[in-house]
Parts: sequence; C-alpha cells; structure tokens
Amino acid sequence: MVLSRPSPCVALRVALMRVALCAICLAACDQRPSGGSVVTISGSALGTEGAVLRRQIARFRAQHPTLRVEIQPTPDDATQRHQLYVQWLNAHAGAPDILQLDVVWTPEFAAAGWILPLDRFSPARDSFFKATVEANVWSGKLYAIPWFVDVGLLYWRTDLLAHAPASMAELVQLAREGMTAPGGARYGIVWQGARYEGLVTVFLEHLGGFGGRIMTGDGRVVVDSPEAIRALTFMRDAIYGSRIAPQEVLTWHEEEARFAFQNGSAVFMRNWPYAYALLAGGADSRVRAKFAVTTMPAAPGGRPTAALGGAQLALNAYSRAPDSAYAVIAYLTAPAQMLERAEVVGQFPTRPALYDDPRLTAALDVPPADARRAIESATPRPVIPIWTQLSELLQIQLHRALARQTSPEEALRTAAREMNALVERTRVRELMAGTVAAGTVTTEAVER
Amino acid sequence: MTRSTSTRSTSTRSTSTEDPRIGWVYVAPAVAIVLLIALFPLAWTLWESLHQHDLRMPWLGRPFVGLANYAEILRDARFWGALGHTAFFAITSIALELVLGLFLALALNETFRGRGLVRAAVLVPWAIPTVVAALLWRFMFDSQAGIANAMLVRIGVLDQPIVWFIRAATAWVPVILADVWKTTPFVALLLLAGLQNIDRTLYEAAATDGAGPWWQLRHITLPLLAPAMLVVLIFRTLDAFRVFDLIYVLTGGGPGTSTEPISIYAFNAMLQNLEFGYGAALSVVIFLVTFTLAVLYIKGLGADVGGRR
Repeated sequence: MVLSRPSPCVALRVALMRVALCAICLAACDQRPSGGSVVTISGSALGTEGAVLRRQIARFRAQHPTLRVEIQPTPDDATQRHQLYVQWLNAHAGAPDILQLDVVWTPEFAAAGWILPLDRFSPARDSFFKATVEANVWSGKLYAIPWFVDVGLLYWRTDLLAHAPASMAELVQLAREGMTAPGGARYGIVWQGARYEGLVTVFLEHLGGFGGRIMTGDGRVVVDSPEAIRALTFMRDAIYGSRIAPQEVLTWHEEEARFAFQNGSAVFMRNWPYAYALLAGGADSRVRAKFAVTTMPAAPGGRPTAALGGAQLALNAYSRAPDSAYAVIAYLTAPAQMLERAEVVGQFPTRPALYDDPRLTAALDVPPADARRAIESATPRPVIPIWTQLSELLQIQLHRALARQTSPEEALRTAAREMNALVERTRVRELMAGTVAAGTVTTEAVER
Repeated sequence: MTRSTSTRSTSTRSTSTEDPRIGWVYVAPAVAIVLLIALFPLAWTLWESLHQHDLRMPWLGRPFVGLANYAEILRDARFWGALGHTAFFAITSIALELVLGLFLALALNETFRGRGLVRAAVLVPWAIPTVVAALLWRFMFDSQAGIANAMLVRIGVLDQPIVWFIRAATAWVPVILADVWKTTPFVALLLLAGLQNIDRTLYEAAATDGAGPWWQLRHITLPLLAPAMLVVLIFRTLDAFRVFDLIYVLTGGGPGTSTEPISIYAFNAMLQNLEFGYGAALSVVIFLVTFTLAVLYIKGLGADVGGRR
C-alpha cells in the first residue's frame, strides 16, 4: 500500500463522528418548522376537485393565520390510495393528518386503530344523511365526517319511455319496448359488470330490490338466500333471457356504460351521478334533454335500493395536531363549502337540509329532489373492516355466474361459504362485539 | 469456498507478499451488496411466509404460524387453478413461438435483398412495451369496434360478433396471440444466432452427397440448433411463468378467475389485499416452481449443451 494508513483509533473516531453527524441531520430534517402547527390533508387534488379544495383551504388559512394547511398529493386511483394509506399508517406516520376515505374504508381503518373517533368534537350526526353516518360508525363511535355522497342512479330515456319503471318486471318490459320502438335503442339496459367493486354495487341494488341483503347485523354472510339467488338470476336473465343487457356489460366499468348511453344506444343505464353533467351538457352527448334519473326499482318483497358511495374525512390517529386538523375537517364539511363543491364539481352534499336550498338547485345538474330520493334509499355496503376481501370473493362468484361458468345458486353458495370462512378466520365478529381489541390476539396466538 | 481460497493462497504465498485477507476486504463491499439486495429479501420473504401477517388486520397481530400458510396454499383451489393457467399459457405460447420462430429464423438466414432491414423490422413487436401491446390487442378484440370480430364475420368464420373476454376459452385467444406476436421475434433472433453458428461446409458436403433440403433440416439444422433452442426454452419458460402485465391488461384474470396466472394471484394477495404472510408464501412457491423448472432443464438437456461446446 502506498498511502500510509491512519491509526485504527483515529479511523474509528472519524467514522463515529460521521455517524453522529448523519443522525443529527436526520433528526433535524424530521423536525417540523416551529411556530404554529402544520396540518396536511390528502385527497383528490386533480382538476376542478383540486381547484375547489385549494380555494377553500386558502380561505380557511386566511381565517386562521397561525395554522399552515398543506395538500399532500396521493394517487386518484382508489386502490392505490388505499395501499399508500395502509403502508403509512402501519408505519405510524403522522402525516397526512386528514385522510379522504372511501365509504368502505372507514370500518377497516377504525378497527385497525388508525383513525380517531370524532365524538369528542361533538359533530352533529343528525345533520347528515342517515346512511352516510351509518357507514362511518364503528362500534358505536363516529370515525369520519361524510364529505360528499355518491349514489347509484338509474338513468332512463324520456324520449323513448313515458315514465320510469315502478317494478323490476316493468323495468324489463319498458327496456324491451324502448328497444323495439321506432328509433329505439340497441340495448335495454347497461351496467357495470366487469369483475370489480362496481359489479358488487350493481348486485347490491338488485339484491335490495328483491329483499335480500349481504350480511346480517351480527356479521353473518347471507348472500345465498333465496332473495339473493333471485336477484342474481334476474341479472343473468337480463343478459341471456330477456336479452335487454348486452353480453359486453361483463367487461364494462362506469365509462363504457356511459359511452353506450351517451351515444343513445341504451334505454336504461345504472351509473353514478358524475355521468349526469356529461350527458346533459357534453358536446358529444346524443341524449341531451332526453333523459332523467330515478332509483333502481324493486320486485315484490323488496325495496328500491341505491348503493352508497362517496368520500369522508377522517383524522389520522398519529396526527400531532388533531385539534387543528379537526378544525379543517369541520370547515371543509360546512354547508357553504359543500354548496361550492356541488356547484364546481357536481358532488352531492351530505346534509339533507341543503336540498331545500335554492342555491343547490342552481348548483346541481341533477334535480335535488331526485338526488335526495336516491340518497334516502341508499344502503351502505356492510360496515365491516374486511369488506374489500369479502367483496373480492363475491365479485369472482358473481362474475362466474354471469359468465355462465356456474349457476347463480352454486355461485352464491360458494361465495357465502368462502366469505363466512374469512369472517371466522379474521375474528371480525368478536371484534364487532368488542371482545377483541387491537393487539390483544397476538400473545394469545403465539402461545398457541 | 473458504477452503479453495485458502489452498490457493498457500500456493501463492511463496511468490506474493499479499495477505489473502486483503482480498476478502476488497470483495467485502460487493459481497455485502449481494447479501443485502439478493439474499436478505429472499430470507426475509421466507421468514415472513412463516407468519400470519395481514397489514389490514392489525388486531390479529403477526403470530408465527410455521408452515400453515403453505398448508393453506395446498388446499387453495384458486392457487391450483392459477398454476394450471400459467402452465397452459406457458406450454401453448412457447410451442407456437418455437415453431413460428424457427420458420422466421430460417427465412431470415437466407440471403436476399434488404435482409438487414427485414431483420430489424421483425423485431418491432418485441420493442413495443408489453402494456402498450396488450392494450392494442384488447382494442382489436373489442366486441364491437374490434377488427378481430369484423374480419372473422366477413370471412364467414363467425355468424355474428362475439364477446371474447366473457368466456374462458375465447379470452385465452387474444392472450396467447398477443404473446406469440410479441415474443416470436425474440425467439427467432436467438435461433438465428444459433443458425449462423452452424458450419456452412456441412450443408455443402450434404448437398454433394445428394441430400435434399428436408434431409438437411432434419439431420443438420435441427440437431445443431438444439443448444439455441434450449436457451430459448429456458428463457421463455421462466418468462411465461412470470407472465403478469399482458394478462393484467387484457383480461385482468377474468372471466371469474379463469385466466388468472400465479403472478397475478400473488400480486393480489400481497399488494391488493396486503396479506403479507400468505403473499410471501405464494412468492416462495412461485420461486420454487421456476427454480425447479430451471434445474430440470439444465439437468435434462444441459449436459448436451456442455458436451457440444
């Protein structure tokens, strides 16, 4: 070696100093700027949604000069956002303080202890739609404030039909009439039938219409009930029996269905409210002023049911500034901000009182009375922490039955068996009854 | 490993003043990196697979469950289905690619005007990103606007357009076709390299003895091309067993789960459902399956390659 080596002692000291320096750097970087707290919010921040959020936050900051509020961008795709949240919260990350949650995530995050119960801030539960509150309650406590509500709507063509269907049987009959009428549409009804969460929401609406449900109050899956089999058989017959729905629906999501309806190719469409503005005002819409919305009708013994979707705001359990963060949540979910969102983005407010407000009539494309009726018949998907996994099992079996790989009875029996096994294995029922708290199972299981 | 190094160092010590331990110091960073990026994740995955660990169910904790995840995999019908789909996809697509690739390689091996251009042009499908290629094929097999239905109806194979992606049998068609279309050029290129290694004089001698082109293909080209074919087989089998993006875009594993390969199933368990324990066990099983395949190929056919070198 040409270079003379430093003595090991010196080398060691240099190395130690470097490590110490790095540690100081890291600690310094982790520190938040002092003076006033910072609140971060994560949610849909693209397009008009992002613009209205930024505007509202700017207004909030003008009222609260000591508080800094920042938007933390997250992917708009729900699955990706969910993955990110789960990873962050597993690592006990304190930011974002405010999480925009999909309606089916609240119980999952609440059961995991990742979000805070909000009751100590005493939000007025009864100023929101009942279904939207129900979806956000876990073991009696409210965990998120409903921000805007999404609801399944039945779009129908006013130029082909004289009135909306009052029953499932009439839906089929009117669809056929609309198809055979002069200048009629190619398809009777279009919906979301690809193998994803959308299919489950469509099924849920049929299920409710036939008087069935997915789960009992004590967490037992009952999708193999006679009502459920009738509902799935009805959906399958719509494709292969009465042929009002094209086979293509089994590959369709929201947008494919909207394209078909927008081109004038369908008498009915099941879709979310977002489609309304595009159909009513879109330059390439062929159904402008030729359609209206209602809810999915019911068969005897059932009741009209709309799937509930939408977004809520929740408080990160590891947040360092929960009080300031709640102030932001309260501001964003206040009536004035909801009206502004309705006007700019077309999203439905979660406060029923606003539906009598003339400003909402001016803001929304959908007649508020129709929207309100749909929201009042909305049913949340089962409020259970493992919903996404249960839904996946159900999606596969629904799709198999609709693709005629198996019969509706067989498919739903398999789905119920698999779903109940998962409920059993994950001990969710005990969790729901409150006999298991987060973390208590670990030691027990290890001992076994 | 240690022994061989120490023997060598004893033999070289007389001629060199270098301390063998210095050698270890020099390679230490490289060894550390290999350990860190290759062995550590593998070991961690193995360790994880012995736990029940669901990121979304913290109330269950992360108990050590031994081989329970593996036992569940063996009972899991969806896993066996996925394995079957993967094998079906691998066998069908590789068989087609090998045959078509051979034809293509033979054609490209002939001398004709503009051969360089054609050789480059053939590679175009291989150069297109898989997701883009998959989207193209998805459009082509769209039930209404797709060219596949339009052509098949025009030539009378179909009475009316069909919806390809709602039946298992028809959903496989675009999947296999897309893979064959995309990968045949790669196979052809490898085989072409093999063809060019064959001594020209063998053909000249055979021709002098009156052997026709068919005889030459069977008794000269194919046997001498075996090493190149083995390389193709290994590459393609391992690739096909990891197939993900193509099927993810084209069918998403549907209808139901009837085109779902093991990689999509593992992805689903691990990254969609965040079942880390079970997902890790699935990954280990995939690793074992591909590893076994590679060993079988090398053992069964590899000796032959070594002999020819």
